[in-house]
Amino acid sequence: MDFSVISDNLSYFLIGAYPNGPLGGAALTLVLSLFSGVISAILGLLLGIALVMIRSKVRWVLLGVLGFLRAIPVLMLIFWSYFLLPIVFNVDVPALATVVCALSLIGGAYLAHSVYAGISSLPAGQWAAGKALGLGTWQVLRLIILPQALPMMLPSFLNQWISLIKDTSLAYVIGVGELSFVATQVSNRVMVHPTEIYLFVALVYFVFCSSLDLIANRLIKPKAQPR
Amino acid sequence: MFGELLAPQYLHWLFDGFVLTLILSLLTCLVATGLGFLLCLARISPSRLWSWPARAYLALFRNTPLLVQLFFWYFGVTAMLPEGLVVWLNQPRSLDLGLFELEWPSFEFLAGFWGLMLYTAAFICEEFRAGVSSVRLEQRAAGLALGFKPAQVWRYIVFPQALRTALGPLLGQYMNALKNSSLTMAIGLAELSYASRQVETETFKTFQAFGFATLLYVLSIALLEVIGQLIARSKWYRQGVL
Repeated sequence: MDFSVISDNLSYFLIGAYPNGPLGGAALTLVLSLFSGVISAILGLLLGIALVMIRSKVRWVLLGVLGFLRAIPVLMLIFWSYFLLPIVFNVDVPALATVVCALSLIGGAYLAHSVYAGISSLPAGQWAAGKALGLGTWQVLRLIILPQALPMMLPSFLNQWISLIKDTSLAYVIGVGELSFVATQVSNRVMVHPTEIYLFVALVYFVFCSSLDLIANRLIKPKAQPR
Repeated sequence: MFGELLAPQYLHWLFDGFVLTLILSLLTCLVATGLGFLLCLARISPSRLWSWPARAYLALFRNTPLLVQLFFWYFGVTAMLPEGLVVWLNQPRSLDLGLFELEWPSFEFLAGFWGLMLYTAAFICEEFRAGVSSVRLEQRAAGLALGFKPAQVWRYIVFPQALRTALGPLLGQYMNALKNSSLTMAIGLAELSYASRQVETETFKTFQAFGFATLLYVLSIALLEVIGQLIARSKWYRQGVL
């Protein structure tokens, strides 16, 4: 094993060609996951609330769309947004935005169900009590339900973020210069030591994901203790 | 954008890709279930000699992207293997089984299967473990009190209940395996996503190529969902006979 290939290209692995070129490597992986994490959290929250509040046939449409997003591979969704976004918006959409869009949709679809489950896990008495106090439905949701449900959902938001970090590696297929793409680039250029390169890249992902995992576990722990 | 349909030749490509996707995910699910079960046994073992390696395996395989793992197995490990073995693995040969001939799979298939299987096994292990921990400790104590041996307690009391609980999530992991098999296109395995991309570059009928592939994915996931519902409604499952 010869890890000099890592130290020689370390800054390229971590930040890409930045500051002389676009940001890339591990930094871009983090930026991508941060953007798609935030957007999917907002999307998941809105869709989850919609699942709770909407009682008409629209709900079936919503469930169908969510089911569709959860049924197709992330890779197919990236292909679709790569192809459809420029047509729909009639502008040249950068590959980065494509990836963020695809990952946010997937993450949002998964989170919507967690949010829905979190809200429905509260006893119905909470809604009734809120109504009895003279609050409107939205007020009950905002003032009583969400403040209780959101802390419960936090671990699943973090877990979704972990899988988003892993999924950003798929941006590789449309040539976004994040960590996996940079790794194959370096590997193709130096032609030797692919083992060392991929081990190092896996280690970087491992550090990102397991530190988030630790935080998520910390957050779950206090709930397990009897009050 | 919509235009006419794809020529039969391209549909054939997509269909071949779909068959490969199905074979890959089926094999993966079968082997990964076995490995996941063994991993689960190691993980819940009271001996640290068993549980720590299993913990390390789970942490490593669950916290790194599948794509990087596939690259590692396909490019990284191949570079480390002795040359004779790589040549042997790459050699086309076939196994005559009387009725039909079994072709030796491509090297991409082997690497893809290996990577996907190890990744899926880590997740399946966690589903089994969740199933086992859903069976309360008192049940084991009661079994022992009834005169069962520890092995019998696991065989007749813990596993039947754990498996019942784990069945739903397990099916979810099978769906994930099917979806994740699309990543093997990155190492050049001609499965469904690869085929759709290929058809797209060949015909420029993006909508049809991706649409057809998406449809096949959705259909197979829906089929798994239906199977899950059927199992959950079966008499066998409701009465807990295992």
